[in-house]
Amino acid sequence: MSERQSTGPSRRGAQKPTRRSSGGGRAWLRHHRAMMSDSALRLVRRPISTLLTMLAIAIALILPAGLWLALDSARLVDAELDESATLTVYFDADVDESRAMSLAAEVGEQSGVAGTRLVTAAEGLAEFQQTLGVEDALSQLDTNPLPASVVVTPDDTDPAAVQSLSQRLQTLDGVDEVRLDLAWLDRLQQLAAVGQRVALALALLFGLGVLLVVGNTVRLAVESRRQEIEVVTLIGATHAFVRRPFLYSGAWYGLGGGVLALVMLIVGGNWLASPVAALAESYGAQFALPSLGTTHSAFLLLFSTLLGWLGAWLAVGRHLADIKPR
Amino acid sequence: MIAFEHVGKRYGGRFEALADINFRVERGEMLFLTGHSGAGKSSLLRLIMRLERPSRGRVLVAGHDLDRLHISQVPYYRRQIGVVFQDHQLLFDRDIFANVALPLTIQGVEPIDAGRRVRAALDKVGLLHRERALPIELSTGEQQRVGIARAVVNKPALLLADEPTGNLDPQLSADIMRLFEDFNRIGTTVLVASHDLALIARLRHRVLKLRDGRLVGDGEAA
Repeated sequence: MSERQSTGPSRRGAQKPTRRSSGGGRAWLRHHRAMMSDSALRLVRRPISTLLTMLAIAIALILPAGLWLALDSARLVDAELDESATLTVYFDADVDESRAMSLAAEVGEQSGVAGTRLVTAAEGLAEFQQTLGVEDALSQLDTNPLPASVVVTPDDTDPAAVQSLSQRLQTLDGVDEVRLDLAWLDRLQQLAAVGQRVALALALLFGLGVLLVVGNTVRLAVESRRQEIEVVTLIGATHAFVRRPFLYSGAWYGLGGGVLALVMLIVGGNWLASPVAALAESYGAQFALPSLGTTHSAFLLLFSTLLGWLGAWLAVGRHLADIKPR
Repeated sequence: MIAFEHVGKRYGGRFEALADINFRVERGEMLFLTGHSGAGKSSLLRLIMRLERPSRGRVLVAGHDLDRLHISQVPYYRRQIGVVFQDHQLLFDRDIFANVALPLTIQGVEPIDAGRRVRAALDKVGLLHRERALPIELSTGEQQRVGIARAVVNKPALLLADEPTGNLDPQLSADIMRLFEDFNRIGTTVLVASHDLALIARLRHRVLKLRDGRLVGDGEAA
């Protein structure tokens, strides 16, 4: 490389310009490293404005990420509900215990039934008392008003399949009523679908927001280094060379914003954790707020870095065209 | 080294900055370009630096037809030319060393090699002892010499200077011109645009004279 540089004027004139005529990959890597640290230094030297930019990015990232987490937890709830998407088959009141057992066996043989659990009249009463805490009131009754029942777990939780199973069970002799509570499950699933689309739309909007924030910041940086850009262009800098420091600062902004967003999500999650647990407890449920986890955290950081880089790329590309050496 | 063939340049379709310019510069020559401001000196230099393209005719530099040079090749072409600006165009956020090293940084020269060549260039303009100074700490004449060191640090085949002595007193101007002559002696082709006619007359080099965008004189200063 150095020989090539020192060949002197006589040969240089005839030399056709070639890409990366001197230095090759090593020089290219060296410039990348230099610009990576140089752009980071520039950001560190102006901590307040850097932090404000990163904060704006973090806030734009938190909203979709937070909503995604909320949906994720809803999906967990959803999964639990799937398991409890059971039918309850109430037998006629005159069905006695042995008849109830044979009926339960008959129900269990129907196609589409994954499992059954017989609840005798006595067990039903005990469950009822336990859940409602009305032991005293019920103990006044002479006879048990509850019929025997069987709880059926369908092997397919698709609402339509459960619906048809319910209709078939209804026709069995000795069956009084089949109860299924699918309407609200249906609604919950639709609500989750709406939520997913809202999260996607928000992610797109706020992703655009990050692009604009970084783009605007980088535009100002380009403007403030206008003279430098003009000079290096005059003495033979390629577009890539001029663009590089700005792309790195964009990536740093994105990464910093991503880290801030992660920190805020963790802090916010901890802050919400105990009231949420208490709330779940009052419903007799176990529920913990989900956290992003390593993979998703890494994905968030990668995504925000890429967004910052892209925002810088768009801004620099647009403004370099305006800067022509005088 | 440089050939202009029937070159014309219009701006905005009406103002004719240059009209039917023809001349050749051989490798290793040193010459001046004179004329009043607005005569077309800057336009001519901008054509050589490929900052603009001619409206008519051809510009050939170092074997390249500049009009046929692909946009992606322009940076590599410019690396063969050293340019000295009237206002020296130093970067004030870095020291003298970094300013002079800029063309080598752009070309990706190894730092050790670059350091050696930067010091050689600074030594040539007599500012080796100021390599860690900031441009703002230097006098106008010194700043201009740093600009020259930056222009020659990668040993360009062609050195262009646009009014390099515009802001300097006669003594400093003469020093600067002597520097250009030194570079010319080691084989560099030197083209200096200047309106300092008294100084040019003393130096006895070829002079191209522009008036209203036309070449009205080509020969040694009388």
